Amino acid sequence: MELTRRRLLGAVGAGVAATALSAVPAKAATRIRHYWWGNPERDKRTFAVIDTFQKANPGIEVSGETIGWGDYWTKMATQTAGRNMADLVQMDYRYLFEYVRRGALKPLDEYVGKSLMIKDFDQGPIAGGMVDGKLYALNIGSNSQVIVHNTRVFKEAGVDVDLINWTWDDFAKACEQITAKSGGKVKGSDDLSLMIEAFESWVRQNGREFYGADGKVAATVDDVASYWQMWADLRKKDVVRSKDKTVILDPPLAESGVAVGDTAMSHYWSNQLVGIQAVAKDKIGPAMVPHKKGGKPGQFIKPSMFMSLSRDTKDAESAIKYMNAWVTDPAITKILGLERGIPASKAVRDALAPGLNETEKLSVAYFDAIQSKVGPLPLPAPKGAGEVRDAFMRIGTSVVLDRAKVKDAAEQFIADASDIVERAQ
Amino acid sequence: MWRGSISPLKASFMRRFIARNAPAYAFLTPWLLGFFLLALGPILASLYLSFTRYDMVNAPRWVGLANYEYMFTRDRRFWKALEVTFTYVALAVPARLIMALGVAMLLDKGLRTIGLYRAIFYLPSLLGASIAIAILWRQLFAADGVVNAVLGYFGIQGAAWITNPDTSLYTLVVLAMWQFGSPMLIFLAGLRGIPKDLYEAAEIDGTPKWRQFTRITLPLLAPVIFFNLVLQTIEAFKTFSSAFIISNGTGAPADSLLFYTVYLFNEAFKFFRMGYASALAWVLLIIIAIFTAISFLTSKYWVHYENERD
Repeated sequence: MELTRRRLLGAVGAGVAATALSAVPAKAATRIRHYWWGNPERDKRTFAVIDTFQKANPGIEVSGETIGWGDYWTKMATQTAGRNMADLVQMDYRYLFEYVRRGALKPLDEYVGKSLMIKDFDQGPIAGGMVDGKLYALNIGSNSQVIVHNTRVFKEAGVDVDLINWTWDDFAKACEQITAKSGGKVKGSDDLSLMIEAFESWVRQNGREFYGADGKVAATVDDVASYWQMWADLRKKDVVRSKDKTVILDPPLAESGVAVGDTAMSHYWSNQLVGIQAVAKDKIGPAMVPHKKGGKPGQFIKPSMFMSLSRDTKDAESAIKYMNAWVTDPAITKILGLERGIPASKAVRDALAPGLNETEKLSVAYFDAIQSKVGPLPLPAPKGAGEVRDAFMRIGTSVVLDRAKVKDAAEQFIADASDIVERAQ
Repeated sequence: MWRGSISPLKASFMRRFIARNAPAYAFLTPWLLGFFLLALGPILASLYLSFTRYDMVNAPRWVGLANYEYMFTRDRRFWKALEVTFTYVALAVPARLIMALGVAMLLDKGLRTIGLYRAIFYLPSLLGASIAIAILWRQLFAADGVVNAVLGYFGIQGAAWITNPDTSLYTLVVLAMWQFGSPMLIFLAGLRGIPKDLYEAAEIDGTPKWRQFTRITLPLLAPVIFFNLVLQTIEAFKTFSSAFIISNGTGAPADSLLFYTVYLFNEAFKFFRMGYASALAWVLLIIIAIFTAISFLTSKYWVHYENERD
């Protein structure tokens, strides 16, 4: 055979084609990425969900990416900037508005009723995921604030108080009692000076929202000063966790005072009861955030987590299929249980009820008990809310370490927070 | 026309230039490509972005000098970041250089196992920039960490080094000191270059060791010290990963570890202010350039090269 230029090219071409063909896998798989913030218990469950989903849907490969809350948003922002977001991202109420406004998420409305079956969802949880009249976030559980307490220590210290209706005075008394009874080995509570989530309840008890209807900071200097002063008084009595533990920002669940046994109380979200019980030695129980005498309700029921579809998804259909399985597939909702919060679908809740473990039963009972004691869901936080949270921790650190006067620091925080929100718009 | 007569000459010059330097450029190509595509492009882009408001999702919007104006007139954290960074540079650079010179002089004794020691002393520099070491450092200096355990052994009540804003920066200075490897190697090479007969002559004259050091070693080592000083100063201004990890990515506690680069990173990647962060980056570049220029301008008063005559 004469070797001509054309024949040679043809042969090379055929060879390339053959190589390319052999590179195609047996089944045409599509790959979607799911990114969430987690803890050991949540990660275990989520990977089990992924396995179950992949077995039922051999054409779809799901790759799970998890990281702790402390680093979650930094990584997310970097991926958003690099146009490399996971197809499905776990979303939080505080950040939802921010990400929608920046155009990083896709609305889900076109899938609802077609591939996303959420007809039997409660209205509250659905509304929480709406921004500007569109659904941007699928509720994958509801929760509320909770004071987690160590039941053994409470019993030994003889703290006997109604943990749903108690006040801040009762709380302070309990802290003193526990610290005294244990000879200082177990302090009453974690110091919540840096926890803006707890502070937001405080502001609502004073009859205001942290962010007003105009999206500006509505909390006052007095709100901040009185909050930090209360903790300063508890520190003075030495009935809360040590300063150097307090100023560690966003510690992992396993290092909280209740988990390691340093303290008898800590502030969390009700769905986290499951996660904390998994790392705590003693049996834990829920209590409401203490009330203010004659004050307004501080707590609220909120979507604990959402799943959102990112702007960078290449295969929205598969991603929605996975999303839909999360809230409808009985095998999957059973694995998830209540770890991410109380499911929004009545059918799912009913199916779960008989199989709940002790902690999960506690969290359902807690959820039922607080229904009449909570206020309405606040409006979504404005752009800059994440940075305001950082500012609260930063300035709060100075207060905890006695480097700033409570009043000065409170003024500083309100000024900074207002600046941040204004600059972010 | 003389123009016609020069052009063949010019052409032949070009030919010779290419013939002579082509291999050099061929070898430089990968670096040049990297520089133009990966460095110069982004550098120019960031200069443009520094005059915009850019959230990395929507298109940049021109704002003129607004970023720079905000930085210098309203941004308290910018000044705080400068304070932290300058304090760090002022402490860490001399500390590391003194450490490096000291160890280099100890090693410059003609030991047979010098290769081994050099490697051992260089090791921290290799590890130092890594995330693992930063995490280890945080554990070492934690309130219930190893450092306090050792101090406790001697009956000293240690502090919460990392979480106390008064001491947190010093833990990083200590970390910088520990990574003295690369300047140490350069000092060692410099020490080797000092003629031994100078010391012998001094010895015969009965010059004490300390004077030998100040009169022979330091002056002859000046060019090397100068080189190390410039390099380490630039390096120190750019410190990032250890500060980022130890401060939980935020500059905590109470902004005491708010290194300039950490602040810049947060502005860019956490708070979506890429335009403002670009402006911060350019100010840092100018600061480093000024410091380098100062070193060069003052060098003629204290750096003497051996082949110079005065």
